[in-house]
Amino acid sequence: MWLPLIGLIIGITLGLLTNWRIPDEYSSYLSISVLAALDTLIGGIRAHLQNVYDENVFLTGFFFNIILAASLAFLGVHLGVDLYLAAVFAFGVRLFQNIAVIRRIWLAKWMERRQKS
Amino acid sequence: MERKKIFQFTLIAAIIGFMLAVQFRSTKDPIVRDTRDIWELRQDLKREQQLQQQLLLEIRRNDDQIANYEQTRSIDEEAMLQKTVAELKEEAGLTEIKGPGLVLTIEPFYPENYVGPITHTVSPELLKRLINELNMYGAKEIAIANARITNTTAIRDVNGVTKVGNVKIASLPIEVKIISNDVSTLHNHLKVSTISDDFVIENLQLTVSDPISTVVIPKYDGQWHDVRYMEAVEAEKEGE
Repeated sequence: MWLPLIGLIIGITLGLLTNWRIPDEYSSYLSISVLAALDTLIGGIRAHLQNVYDENVFLTGFFFNIILAASLAFLGVHLGVDLYLAAVFAFGVRLFQNIAVIRRIWLAKWMERRQKS
Repeated sequence: MERKKIFQFTLIAAIIGFMLAVQFRSTKDPIVRDTRDIWELRQDLKREQQLQQQLLLEIRRNDDQIANYEQTRSIDEEAMLQKTVAELKEEAGLTEIKGPGLVLTIEPFYPENYVGPITHTVSPELLKRLINELNMYGAKEIAIANARITNTTAIRDVNGVTKVGNVKIASLPIEVKIISNDVSTLHNHLKVSTISDDFVIENLQLTVSDPISTVVIPKYDGQWHDVRYMEAVEAEKEGE
């Protein structure tokens, strides 16, 4: 259970150690990708808790969402419309919904456990 | 199955962490490219060298002073302190100063057939510009209309009349007295400077006197404000 957290920490340290920098004009793509990835991760946790987890959906969703978000931002830049806001909005709403579902499931489990004891 | 799931989560989490870290790095301290060319670099180097020299001079002076204190500690401590106080007072503009310098006169200047408003004062901007110019050319002490210019002197407009420190400039002509270590350079600089043109635009004429061997600059006559809102730092013990 703790492995994903350790993975996160490993990723962060790796990122800090490699000293990579994204040029300024591409930083919005990266931020939207981070949001998409986060959305996928939270969605995966929710699916896992609801016992509907499917690894194909999870992995394809991860890469597809990132690519879609980045290309939407790219298109937005070239059209002069802030299309990345659409992605931010969609992912943001989904993120909150998923977190709410996770919270409810955890709450239900906790209540159940308390009633048992 | 379960193990595979955890592995996938870990992988995704690691990728997210990596992206977060890269994003954090690039937004926190973006790369600033050094675009100075060789002349700018040389100039910067020169400036730093000047600063270094100045600091070294200051250190040497302070060292001398410390040595003096140490030497005379037993003999004449009070005289030494008095001397320091006098030096500081002189630096702060609390003493009258005599020395070689110039006297500038600012008079009204109107062309023939002039119709229009007549000014009785000199605008603060113009005076500030003049002071900057004088300081640039190496003036040591300046007094405008017998008001000594110190580091804290305010030049401002009060209801249409310019005030220099506590002195109102309500009538012209006024005199600007300057003491300098190198009077002839100052004089020459002022002669070719465009500052007098700026005065003419405001209907004023700036006349530069010939170098004078003794110019008397009065002391700062206002209340010397105590330093407020500042507290002495208690020195902590330091390891040698």
